[in-house]
Amino acid sequence: MILRRLRYEAVSRAIGPLLMAADRMRKSLSGSRGGRSAGPFGPPLESTRKLRELLSLHYLAGRFADGAVPVAWVTSGFPVEALRALGYHTVYPENHGAICSVRRLVPELSDAIEGEGYSRDLCGYARADLGSVATGKSPVGRLPKPDLLCCCTNICQTVLYWYRALADRFRVPLVLVDVPFVYGEVPPHHFAYVESQLADLAAVAAKIAGRDTDRGTLLETVRLAREGSRLWDECLKTGRARPSPWTGFDAFFHLAPIVALRGTAECNAYYRTLRDELSDRVARGVGGIANERVRLLWDNLPVWFHLRELSTLLAGKGFNIVCATYTNAWAEAGALIDPADPEGSAARAYLHVFLNRDLPHRLALMKRLCSEYGATGAILHSDRSCKPYSIGQVDLSRRLSDAAGVRSLLLEADHADPRSWSEAQARARLDAFTEMFE
Amino acid sequence: MKRMRRDVIAEQKRLGRKTVVALPVHYPAELFTAMDVHVVELWGPPGPPRGPDAGRIQPYVCAVVRNAMAFLADGGAREADALLFPHTCDSIQGMATLAPDFGGWGKPVLRYFHPKGEDRPAARALVRAELASLSAALELLTGRTLESNRLAQAVALHAEIHRVRGALLSRRTCLDLTDPELYRLLRRGEYLWPEDHLSELMEAAKRLGGEPVRNGVPLMVTGYVPEPMTLLDLLASAGAFLAADDYAAVGRRVPLRAPDDGDDPLAILAERPFALPPCPTRGSGRERRMDHLESLYRRAGAAGIVIHVPKFCEPEAFDVPAIRTRFAKIGAPHLFLEGELESRLSGQAATRLEAFVETVRAGRASS
Repeated sequence: MILRRLRYEAVSRAIGPLLMAADRMRKSLSGSRGGRSAGPFGPPLESTRKLRELLSLHYLAGRFADGAVPVAWVTSGFPVEALRALGYHTVYPENHGAICSVRRLVPELSDAIEGEGYSRDLCGYARADLGSVATGKSPVGRLPKPDLLCCCTNICQTVLYWYRALADRFRVPLVLVDVPFVYGEVPPHHFAYVESQLADLAAVAAKIAGRDTDRGTLLETVRLAREGSRLWDECLKTGRARPSPWTGFDAFFHLAPIVALRGTAECNAYYRTLRDELSDRVARGVGGIANERVRLLWDNLPVWFHLRELSTLLAGKGFNIVCATYTNAWAEAGALIDPADPEGSAARAYLHVFLNRDLPHRLALMKRLCSEYGATGAILHSDRSCKPYSIGQVDLSRRLSDAAGVRSLLLEADHADPRSWSEAQARARLDAFTEMFE
Repeated sequence: MKRMRRDVIAEQKRLGRKTVVALPVHYPAELFTAMDVHVVELWGPPGPPRGPDAGRIQPYVCAVVRNAMAFLADGGAREADALLFPHTCDSIQGMATLAPDFGGWGKPVLRYFHPKGEDRPAARALVRAELASLSAALELLTGRTLESNRLAQAVALHAEIHRVRGALLSRRTCLDLTDPELYRLLRRGEYLWPEDHLSELMEAAKRLGGEPVRNGVPLMVTGYVPEPMTLLDLLASAGAFLAADDYAAVGRRVPLRAPDDGDDPLAILAERPFALPPCPTRGSGRERRMDHLESLYRRAGAAGIVIHVPKFCEPEAFDVPAIRTRFAKIGAPHLFLEGELESRLSGQAATRLEAFVETVRAGRASS
């Protein structure tokens, strides 16, 4: 245990950063700048390299985490602060699923578990994760085995079914934070229900970690989480400038730290760097695309496996995604976290996440984002493997057009699985959509 | 809404009762009975979604929700006074804001959150608070007050319904009714006034004998809802019958144990969800569910299991691999049947079912 801990700390604090520095130097010497080629885009963001290093280090440390520190597998909407304060290494299978999708590994991983009887109609992240567990294949090398599974139904109930399957496979405890959906106002007993479960979580997590929560560490983690959300919000808000200094597709990638490393100093340091770079680009009038003509909102998860092609297609026509309900979600809820009341405010913040709220809230938010970011059009990704995000989009699309004058397109795809993507159909729909703005 | 349901609603209206249409699956029916509110359940209806609003929910969402949305928006439940959405799955949850907030349903909406996951103090506290919240909403709807003695009577009435339904299901091999007859009887509980439903159940219970009267291949079924009902006709004509039921719409709603004796009817009601069989829509632990299914299978003396799941139903679909693995382990033949909410069984599904019955029969003959 002690040796494993030493190895984990050495990789996290010394060896990993050294490897990153060496790689940076090698690329610098070879003249490789990374990032996407210019084409219809503006110059690549310098921060992207730091983002890669940050995530590489996180996954590299993860390879040595089990047996060294307590490990929890966590859903993206889970109140992670309680775990951070106990020294958990957290793994976000959704984030890992996105990486698998970008690398086009999902069909192979999904095939593996479809053989066990899992349906292809299930969430692509869940299939990627269960497939990765079943085959041991991962683009990040290896994920540490969990000591604890933590799932919160504020993003969907799918995570509960998915984590039940993981619990069955790993034979480790599953902590569920069951969150009632918010229609209008939250009744007091729903707050009480979530608060009570957070207390249960703290007790179980402490027992597995073999130590009590240090109050000071918890408060500092909560403060960092709130600040991280604020910094992420500041990064997003630079997109209000004309031209926007980045694209919504960039933002999808730069979202990873606030999901996977929320509540850490590294996460916040990264977003300070990114914010400064974006602000500098705004000051210099540098855009994310070369010729920004039309500004758009994106709704739902990205089409991870096709981001490069989609962004190139839109940028080539002068269309820029300047805001997204998905990336905004991690800025919106974080503001509710209050370091003076970590437990109560966590219940409030995690109840009010975007996906846990009714359609009038979603419509109001989309209208507000379009107004604040100057978006005159919207692409609503009708995501066949994310039902909760997609139900209501037909009506949302109509209402955006009728009530807010925002032209919208419903684009059917999948956030993870390229087998559900129809290139010709999507291109034809996008062409027709962009022609509406001519 | 089908004619017989409309007739029942009209009759209940004449008796001065309000009608609430309930989406699947779990909700405290006793509260509605105690408040003199007639409940009609909406499981679809089967067939393709009809009406101008049929396309408001994408085709990759389960047909139960797509059809219900189209049905409501087309005025199919206009006789009802309110709509109840239990906290069943993401899709029903999504519909619970789509229909009332964006059109399709303009009358009051009731919502009932049942806790997910295993029995725990937080879950029990939520059930008690949700019962109080739903009671208050029903008082507002009816203009009446929930009286303790009326609730006690309703709890006793439903306990008796559960007891008789449980007896009919567990002793069905001794019942002089075919599966299509039995299921049509049980599913009338989805829209009859509870006392009327109990009368019919009691009448059927008189046909329970001491000795098995069913012949053929005994099968177990697990899934969501027995639609299309022609599945039962086909099984009967293929020489099989259902010896055990784990449909969310049927068997999973019969408590495994009677509630603890006590004077407080609300406390008895709060206890009931924790006495129900494991159900993925309530997030029950997988292993506990598999143990329950195996035990049900063995008790019933079934010779095979049909896993009958609607397409795109995530709660059910996530458990399918575990069911297949468990039943393969105990050497039980199993058939996975996935379908939409058709009016009739497709030819392909019918052929697969017939072949499955043949295989099981052959296996029994050779063993």
